[in-house]
Amino acid sequence: MKYWRQPLDRDRIQVPCGIIHIIEERCKGCGFCVEFCPRGVFVISKRTNPKGYHPPEITDSSQCADCGLCALLCPDFAIYVESSQMPAKDRDVTDE
Amino acid sequence: MAESDMRLEHSGHEPDSQSDWVTGLHPMDVLLRGERLPHIWCQGCGLGTALTTFIGALQWLEKNQNWDLDKVSVVSGIGCTGRIAGYIRLDSFHTTHGRAIPFATGLKLVNSELKVVVISGDGDIAGIGGNHFIHAARRNLDITVICVNNFNYGMTGGQSGPTTPHGARTVTAQYGNFEHPFNLPYLAAAGGASFVARWTVLHARRLEWTLREAMMHSGFSFVEIIAPCSTSYARWNLEGRGLDPQKLGRRGLEVMKHYQQVGKIGHDTHPKDAAIKVNEKGEINAIVEGVFLNEPKPEFRAAIKHKTQIAKERWSAAKKVLDARLKLPGRNDVVERTEVQLGGFGGQGIMSAGRIIGQAATLYDKIEACFTQSYGPEARGGAAGSQVVVAGEPIHHPHLIAPTSAIIMSQEAYVKYVPNLTSNGTLLIDDGLVTLPEDHRQDLKTYGIPATQIAEELGNARAANSAMLGFWAAIVGAVSQAAMRQSLADSVPPKTLEVNLKAFDVGFDKGVEVLK
Repeated sequence: MKYWRQPLDRDRIQVPCGIIHIIEERCKGCGFCVEFCPRGVFVISKRTNPKGYHPPEITDSSQCADCGLCALLCPDFAIYVESSQMPAKDRDVTDE
Repeated sequence: MAESDMRLEHSGHEPDSQSDWVTGLHPMDVLLRGERLPHIWCQGCGLGTALTTFIGALQWLEKNQNWDLDKVSVVSGIGCTGRIAGYIRLDSFHTTHGRAIPFATGLKLVNSELKVVVISGDGDIAGIGGNHFIHAARRNLDITVICVNNFNYGMTGGQSGPTTPHGARTVTAQYGNFEHPFNLPYLAAAGGASFVARWTVLHARRLEWTLREAMMHSGFSFVEIIAPCSTSYARWNLEGRGLDPQKLGRRGLEVMKHYQQVGKIGHDTHPKDAAIKVNEKGEINAIVEGVFLNEPKPEFRAAIKHKTQIAKERWSAAKKVLDARLKLPGRNDVVERTEVQLGGFGGQGIMSAGRIIGQAATLYDKIEACFTQSYGPEARGGAAGSQVVVAGEPIHHPHLIAPTSAIIMSQEAYVKYVPNLTSNGTLLIDDGLVTLPEDHRQDLKTYGIPATQIAEELGNARAANSAMLGFWAAIVGAVSQAAMRQSLADSVPPKTLEVNLKAFDVGFDKGVEVLK
């Protein structure tokens, strides 16, 4: 996932960072978080939770921009995001 | 254990220690009944997301609008969506099928402080409860109705419902649904709702904003939430299958991806144009979303308050007139049960005459009276009859048992009512209108005055009943003359008061004359 152009306010805007918490035993493996995370933070894990579903797994937590979409979309109250004081890791830009 | 506690336990009530179980794993757990989780909704069902957005909106309102969540009440009907009332840790109400809105109406009218939110499914709100829905919208009562639409009856196995798109497959429409669905925003707007919106659960952030707005709105607000039914509806329809057979296990996700493609945001779209469109295979290919209508209108309770105020003013004015009425001491002598049959045609004042007798007896003579009436559908000219029972003791049977007297003002009424009179009863007729036949009952005491003619000579033919009443009062004597005059004065319009009282007096004098 890359920007297709350099954002004009890139030096002024600090992207916030979030800490994702997954309550694995509540997950029913619907895959909403994996599919709709704008930064592709999640993948479906190989392991199973006590109900036999594959919960999501975080690949690179520093990519999270604290948008909270995963927590809002999760139908099973299994994900929530806390704001972190650290800025999110910036993404690759095509012209750099 | 105290007796009251035991009774509560037997009624299925949970002790506070169990019902207050907050797991505390998730920030939204404070508004969830921990003992009931995990919820019953399937993998990929949109209802969990709908509940998340609702709780998100409530938490925002609590934080930013200082809402007291103890004053928020959630009402649900039956169905998968109806479960929300059981999961949310607020004062909630799980009602009978389709009747969530009537319960909410009662809740709101009795306790106006409450913010009442109805969350139920499409089958509950638009199917069995459809009538309640449009009428609540018509009244513009200040409640929020959230209808989670998943296009079928999910809990019972996926039957076609009121919102199943035309051509879509369900378990009861294997060759495509042959019915046409409701366009719920259009239905709500036509009904009179003042806030109408629709979102899919995929647009969760915007949905949350709209839910806040809808709950803050004063008046009937309606939000339709389109949610995937991953097990029932998605099983039979193209949007749930996806192209990749590997993904068949996640139908809910496939439907969400489909919403991402077909959802179009169109705020202020006319609700008529917001119908969900399907292609020839029954696959949904356009969902317009957004806030379609936000027009503040006078709210129901405000209107009730306004009219109550008017009624109170009118009543205080009327009470002054009533208090200024003549005070009579009432009768102390024994009054036998007297039954009066009045008959004539509509417009002669047969009903009024009956009421005047009853009022004279109860209000001024302070004895008992009972008044019933029977008439045809015509307001003028049809056959009319009324019956009055006057007695000194409480009346246990309101109808006539053995009519002892009758006031008859038309030939038709003569034929109908005279055979019922007891023998030795008193029959009073209007000479000008009733001709006695040859085989007239000889066991009756029959007296006649030309009442209509008398009234006409006095200047108003409609005072004929007053003349008959005077005649009756003099001959039968069950009600005193003063009481009858006062009751008559209360009942007739002020302009005709003089004529009516004159007619009454003429009738009374004739009665006294006849008795001599």
